[in-house]
Amino acid sequence: MNKSDNPNPLTALLQNKIVAYALAFATILAFITFVILRQTGSFSLAVYDPYVALIRNGLLNTIIVSTVALVSSLVIGFIFYLMSISKIQYFRAFTEVFTEIIYGTPLLVLIVISAFVIGPAFNSLDRNTMGYIGLITYMTPYMKNVYKSAISSISEEQYLAMDLFGFTPYQKYRYIIIPQVIRVLMPPMMNNFSQIVKGSALLNVIAYDELFYSIRVAQSQNFAFIEGYMLVWVLYLVITIPLSQLTRTIERRWSL
Amino acid sequence: MKIELNQLSHTYDVEVLHNLELILTEYNAVALIGMSGSGKSTLIRLMAGLERPTSGTLKINDYDVTNDPEYKKHVGFVFQSHNLFPHLTLKRNITLVLEKTRNIPLEEAEMIAEANLRLLKLEDQMDKLPKNVSGGQAQRASIARALSVNPDVIFLDEPTSSLDPILTDEVLIAIQELRELGKDFVLVTHVMSFVKKFANYVVFMQEGNIVEKGTPEILDHPETPELKDFMSKVH
Repeated sequence: MNKSDNPNPLTALLQNKIVAYALAFATILAFITFVILRQTGSFSLAVYDPYVALIRNGLLNTIIVSTVALVSSLVIGFIFYLMSISKIQYFRAFTEVFTEIIYGTPLLVLIVISAFVIGPAFNSLDRNTMGYIGLITYMTPYMKNVYKSAISSISEEQYLAMDLFGFTPYQKYRYIIIPQVIRVLMPPMMNNFSQIVKGSALLNVIAYDELFYSIRVAQSQNFAFIEGYMLVWVLYLVITIPLSQLTRTIERRWSL
Repeated sequence: MKIELNQLSHTYDVEVLHNLELILTEYNAVALIGMSGSGKSTLIRLMAGLERPTSGTLKINDYDVTNDPEYKKHVGFVFQSHNLFPHLTLKRNITLVLEKTRNIPLEEAEMIAEANLRLLKLEDQMDKLPKNVSGGQAQRASIARALSVNPDVIFLDEPTSSLDPILTDEVLIAIQELRELGKDFVLVTHVMSFVKKFANYVVFMQEGNIVEKGTPEILDHPETPELKDFMSKVH
């Protein structure tokens, strides 16, 4: 029987897009509510009212550290990309070895080593800076790959066409290469940004007062652990979900 | 069109063209045919100046293809896949080239672009991105782009190989109509029926050598066993 002819109204309802999404959302919400109610009879966020300023500051710091890490890893990632295609074998070898090591390292370990091992060795650098550096270092190989795939998306034939028509190197980059690279680069770059935001939560282990750390500080005073964890979860989603939606929109609009 | 190949060889990892010699003076539609890997695509790329030959000389219409930077301004090239710049509309693909590399003011460039797109029956598609038109339309737009720089010679490298049979016909009809423009053509294709209609000279290649050449009658009456064999396979 053809699917669209299915007379069962329940099946038809589940096929409706809005109903399907609402149900999916409700399922997860129901599970969370169930879990919360098993833990505490009186779930109230009011206990966090005194900490609004603290949490707002944490949220702001998370956004700042993520943005700094994004911009820095974009710049360093590009330098890394250039090294990875360099004619000098040492540069290529270095990026390869470095990438392999970073890929094998948990972000948490990198942050801790950066702040507590590498930082003290150069005692002019403080712990927070080293935390930033750990996060940036972690993202660098990923950003390198973003560049690599974006730039290799321009076919050899396009370069031949550019040469044939006689575009100058500046014109090639300005009108043909960069506009394409940016389009291809945006979605994976935004994904990386989301990864940075999530990864920045780990900076709490070095007592950097980002979002997760702020919540932990509040929890240590009001002991409202369930509420605190739920709050921090939702706050991360408030940043990351719009980001991924935006990424999808860009992907759709800008795809080539 | 004058074509003069002299001791022309080309090597990628191995030598793919071996000491080619060819002198033609009076044909304006030359077809290069042969199996995949026969060197015909390499030869058309060398002739268009897209790549430099490893050795030998190559003259087209008295231009020294390898050494005269002026030459490229007088050729148009249509690639196997349309090879339009994917982030630009069909029209902008043309106006960008005219504006930036031929120093034509934008308004005039737009007129030239529109005229060429109309010639290829794309008046309704001009403002679309390549991804939003059919493969045949994109390929016709790339032909319009090649024409818009007003080239003396138009090179077509298997312009229909990435298209299905219906779109192939659509593009071949468009190319056939271009013969009216009085320009010179060099064409690589596997569609022998089209070679017979379009070309007035045929060069058959195999394994990097020119094995047989002549007017399109050689396709019906091949002299060499190689061309005989080839024709029996493509039919």
